Amino acid sequence: MKMKSVLAIISLVLILAACANNTTEQKEEPNSGSSEEKPYIAIISKGFQHQFWQAVQSGAEKAAEEFQVEITFEGPESESQVDKQMEMLRTALDKKPNAIGFAALDSQAATPLLEEASEQDIPIIAFDSGVDSDIPITTASTDNYAAASLAAEKMAELMDEEGKVALVVHDQVSLTGTQRRDGFVETIEENYPNMEIVDIQYGGGDHLESTNLAKAILQANPDIAGIYGSNEGSAIGVVNAVKELGKEGEVTIIGFDSGKQQIDAIKDGVMAGAITQNPEGIGYETVKAAVEALDGKEVPESIDTGFFWYDQSNLEDKEIQAAIYE
Amino acid sequence: MSTAVIKQKMRGSAALQQILAFASLVLLIIFFSLASDNFMQWSNIEGILLSTTVIGILALGTTFVIITGGIDLSIGTGMTLTSVMTGVFIVYLGLPILIGILGGIVMGALIGLISGFSVSILKIPPFIATLAMMMIAEGLSLIISGASPIYFSDIEGFHQIALGSIIPGVNLPNAILIFFLMVLIGWILLSKTIVGRYTFSIGSNEEATRLSGINVTKWKIIIYTIAGCFTGVAGVIMASRLDSAQPALGMGYELEAIAAVVIGGTSLSGGKGSLVGTMIGALIMSVLTNGLRIMSIPQEWQTVVIGFVILLAVYIDMLRKKNV
Amino acid sequence: MTDKILEMKNIHKSFPGVKALTDVQLDLYRGEVLALIGENGAGKSTLMKILTGIYQKDRGSIVYKGKEVAPKNTKEAQELGISIIHQELNLMQDLTVAENIFIGREPRDKLQFFLKDKELNKKAEELFQQLNIHLDPKTKIAELTVAKQQMVEIAKALSFHAKILIMDEPTAALTDTEISTLFKIIHWLKREGVGIIYISHRMEELKQISDRIVVMRDGEYIDTLETASANIKQVVSLMVGRKLHIEQKATNPSRWKEIALEVNQLNNRYLKDVSFQLKKGEILGFAGLVGAGRTEVARAIFGADPSTGIIKIHGKTVSIKQPYDAVRHGIGYLSEDRKRFGLLLEQTVQENIAAPSLAHYTKFTFMHTKKIKKETQSYSNQLKVKTPSMNQLVKYLSGGNQQKVVIAKWLLKNCDILIFDEPTRGIDVGAKQEIYDLLESLAKQGKSIIMISSELPEVLRLSDRIIVMNEGRTTGELPQHDANQESIMELATKQA
Repeated sequence: MKMKSVLAIISLVLILAACANNTTEQKEEPNSGSSEEKPYIAIISKGFQHQFWQAVQSGAEKAAEEFQVEITFEGPESESQVDKQMEMLRTALDKKPNAIGFAALDSQAATPLLEEASEQDIPIIAFDSGVDSDIPITTASTDNYAAASLAAEKMAELMDEEGKVALVVHDQVSLTGTQRRDGFVETIEENYPNMEIVDIQYGGGDHLESTNLAKAILQANPDIAGIYGSNEGSAIGVVNAVKELGKEGEVTIIGFDSGKQQIDAIKDGVMAGAITQNPEGIGYETVKAAVEALDGKEVPESIDTGFFWYDQSNLEDKEIQAAIYE
Repeated sequence: MSTAVIKQKMRGSAALQQILAFASLVLLIIFFSLASDNFMQWSNIEGILLSTTVIGILALGTTFVIITGGIDLSIGTGMTLTSVMTGVFIVYLGLPILIGILGGIVMGALIGLISGFSVSILKIPPFIATLAMMMIAEGLSLIISGASPIYFSDIEGFHQIALGSIIPGVNLPNAILIFFLMVLIGWILLSKTIVGRYTFSIGSNEEATRLSGINVTKWKIIIYTIAGCFTGVAGVIMASRLDSAQPALGMGYELEAIAAVVIGGTSLSGGKGSLVGTMIGALIMSVLTNGLRIMSIPQEWQTVVIGFVILLAVYIDMLRKKNV
Repeated sequence: MTDKILEMKNIHKSFPGVKALTDVQLDLYRGEVLALIGENGAGKSTLMKILTGIYQKDRGSIVYKGKEVAPKNTKEAQELGISIIHQELNLMQDLTVAENIFIGREPRDKLQFFLKDKELNKKAEELFQQLNIHLDPKTKIAELTVAKQQMVEIAKALSFHAKILIMDEPTAALTDTEISTLFKIIHWLKREGVGIIYISHRMEELKQISDRIVVMRDGEYIDTLETASANIKQVVSLMVGRKLHIEQKATNPSRWKEIALEVNQLNNRYLKDVSFQLKKGEILGFAGLVGAGRTEVARAIFGADPSTGIIKIHGKTVSIKQPYDAVRHGIGYLSEDRKRFGLLLEQTVQENIAAPSLAHYTKFTFMHTKKIKKETQSYSNQLKVKTPSMNQLVKYLSGGNQQKVVIAKWLLKNCDILIFDEPTRGIDVGAKQEIYDLLESLAKQGKSIIMISSELPEVLRLSDRIIVMNEGRTTGELPQHDANQESIMELATKQA
C-alpha cells in the first residue's frame, strides 16, 4: 500500500521530468542533424533567473534571428555555483558547437575547458564580467569601472562635491563587484577632496540583508549624505533603509541596474538615479561577434556594450527603455 | 532530603539557562552602547528588532522540530515559496490581501506537511527529507514566479502589514509585534498544550512515546506542519517588508535560524529547548550583527565573530549541563 | 480468588525463519502472582508481547474476563486492563513523573487541546498516596534513580486500573528495602484482585512472592508448578533441561602473590579514600547496597569519571585520565548497562569484538580483515556466543550473549584486569552458570577480576575476597571463608 503510493509519486515525477525535458530537447534539436547549415552557438551565462540575464538572453535571441544561427542559453541558479557552470560548459563542449559564448563565474576554474575548446578550434566569446584569460577572442561587456566612475561623478554633482558617502556592494570577490566598487571609490578619492567614504559593506545582493546593513550604516553615521548601491538588490536595500528610517530626501541614493522597485524609487524621487548596463546589447553583441568570427572576419579585442545614466529626466527615452527592465 | 536539594538545584538551573542567555544579551547591548553612541537609539533598537523578525520567526517554528530530535532545512526556501505564493494570490489572482496572507501561511503549512509526511510515514531521515524539500521549494519558487520578482507596489496596504503600526501614536512596526505575538503563540503551544507535551515526549524517547499509545506518526506530521505555519508567517513578513516576493532569496536563512535556536539553548539531540531561549538566541544574533556593523567592523570579520559566538554558546550550555 | 481472569491456549507465533512459540498455554487467576520463567530465548517475552499487543499471534486464543481478545497495540491492551512493565524502562527522560504517567491521557480542556497541569499533578499525587509511594510528580525522570524510575513505571501501569500486570525482572535494579516496598505493593495488588505475571531469574524471590510457576523452554510450554510444593533445583532443571551442578568455590590463596592493581586514596565526588589491592588471578568481589559507590570505583579506575589518588598497575604508578589510558594499561570494564556503555548495538558481533583492538590489526590504515574474522570467531566460539553468524547485529542477541560479546571484546584486547559490573544482570540461570564458569576460568588463566554484584549469593560463590562499601567508602574486607550474607550486610549498612 505504502510502496504503491511511493511508486506512484516516483512515476509522476519522472513523467513530469520527461515532459520538461522534451521541451528543451526540441529547442536543441536543430543542431543535431537536420539543419546542418545553421551554425550552433552555445551560451553559458552566470545565471538565468535574474531579469538581467533574461534581457541578455533576449538580446542574444534577437541576434540569432537576425544572423540565422541557433543558440542555447543557460546558466546556474546562483552566482556561487562555479561547479555547476563548469558542468554546463562541459556539456556544451560535448555538443560540438560552432562557437561558445561564456561569462565566467571563475575564470581559473574554466581554463582547462576553454583550452580544450580552443584546441578544437571552437571560438570563445566572453561576455559580461568576461574571462580572465587570452583564449577568448573578444569580450562583450559593460566597462563596469567606467560605469561606477560615472556613478561617482553623478553623486558628486548631486552633493555639491562635499559630504559623507557610503557604499553597499553586492560582492567583494567577483570582478563586477570589485570594479563597481573601485571605480566609484577611486573617482571620489582622486577628484573630490571634500567628499569622504565612511563605510563599505557587502550584502551579497540579498534585498533583506542589504536593507538591514544599510540601516546600520545610517545609524552609525547619522550625517551621511549619499549612498551608492552597486546592483539591484543592494540599491533596493538602500532605498528600503532610507524609507524605513524616514530619511527620504536627506540622502542621495544612486543605484545600479534596474528593476521595478528601482524605477519606482526614481519616479518617486527617493533615488536620484542609477546606472544601467545594456543587457540586451551584451547578448546581441556576443552572438554578433561569434557570427563574425565564424565568417572569418576580424573581431576587436573588446566590445564595450555600453551603459547609461538614467533618472527622472530621461526615464522615458527610447534608448533607456530598451536597456532597463521591470 | 538530598533529593529535595538536587531538585531545587535543577529547577534553579532551568531558570538559570534563560537568565544566562538573557544576561549575555544584556552584556552585548551594554558593550555596543559603550562602543558606539549610535547604537542605543530608538531607531536602531527598532532596526535590530525588525531585522530579527524573519529569521526569528523561522527559528521559532524550527525549534518545535528540533525538540523532536529532527531538523528542518526547508524553512529558508520554504519561506521564499510562501512569499511567492502570497504574490500569486494577491497580485496575479487579485484576491483580497487577507486571503493572500492566509494562502501564504497555508502554503507554508503544506510544505511542513509534506516534510512531516516524508519523515514520519516514508521514514526518511529529517535531514534528507527537508533537504529535498528545500530544493523542491527553491525550484518551485522560480518556476511559479517565472524567475522574476512579484511586486506588491500597486497593492494598497500590503507594505503596511510589516511596516505600518497598528498601535496609534506609537511608531512600532507591526512586524515586531507579530514576532512577539508568534513568540507568545509558540510558547503557549509548547508549554500549555498537548502538542508541546508530545513534542518534548517524542524528542525525549520516541519509542517509549509510541509504546505509550501515542500516535507518533500523526503528531510528527502536526509538528512539522506547525513549523511550516511559522515559515509561512515569515514569508508574508518578508514579502511585505521588501514590498516584493523575491524568488531567488531564502537559501541560507535556515542555517541562521538553526544557529539562533542553538544559541537559545535548544539541544539538537532533542527533548530539551524553549521558545523564549530561541527568541533570545535570535536577538543575540541580530544585536551582534548590527553592533558590529555600527562599529564599522569589516564584514569578513563579522561572520567570524558570529561563528565563534555559536561555538561559545553551545560550549557554555554543555558545561552547565555537565555541572548539574 | 478462584476466578480465572486470563486463559491463553495453543498460542503459535513464528518470525521469518524462526519458530518463536509452539502451542503455548498459560492461565492466570484474580489476585494471583504467576511466575513465568525460562532461559533467554525460551519465549517468555514473545508471549508477553502477544498478550500486550506488541506482536500478533499466528494461531491460538486469548480469553480475558471470559471474552476472546486480540489487542492490536499496547494502548488497546492497556485500556483492556493489561499492562506491562518492561525491564528496559520506557520513560521519557525529559518529562516529569506526572507527565510520564499520564502521557496520552493528560487532563485537557473541552477542546482536547490545552493541558491542565495542575489537575495532572493532583491526579499523580492521589495515585502515589493510594499506592503509598513517595514521589514528587513534578520531578523530571532524568533526575530519579533507576529504582524510583521503576516505581514510576509501576504507578503508570496501575493508573490504568490494570487487571493484569506483567512485571519483567522488576527487582533487577532495586535494593533490598526497595524490593520489600515493591513486594508490599504486590501484596496490596493481590488483595485488590489484580493478576500478576512475574518474570524473574531470582529463584529466592519467586519462592517468596509467587503462587504458581510456569516454566517455558525453547518456545514451548513445559510445566506449571505450585510454588509451595516446588523446590528450586527442580524448577531450574525444568528450565534448562539439564542438571545444574553447583560446586563450592575452591579457594587457593597460594595462587595470588603478585599484586596486579593497587589503588590508594581514590577520591572524587562520589568516593572517599578508597584503597585496596587486587592480586593476580584473584576474583575480588565488591558488595554493598545500590548506590554504595561500587560502580563509581570502577568508573574512576577506568578513567570514566575524574578522580584523585594513586593507581599502580603491576607495581608501576600510572596516570589514567580517560578510558583510553586504562585500556592501554590492560584494564577492561564491563558496564552494568551493556546497551548504553558496552555495545555498539547497530554493529555486528565481529565489529563489536574487534572494536578496541582495531589498531592492532591495522597496517597503514588497512585492516587485516581475515585475521580479525578468525580471531573474533575464535573468541566467540570459546565463549559460546549464540549467534547465527559473526555478521549478526548485536542488538538482536539475547542479554547473556551480548554480555559474552563484551567479554570477548576485552579478551581480544588482551586486558588482564577485568572489571565486571553486575555481570549477570538480566541473564537467565543457565547463562549465569556459563558466565560464572567463564569468570573462574579467566581467573585461573591469571586474569585479575573485580566483580561488582548486588546478588549476595553470586558474590559469595565467586569471590576469593570481598570488599564491602557504603556511602562511597570501603567499610570492610572479608576473606572468602569469613563471608556470609549476615557479615556482608552488617558491613554494607555500617556508617563509616
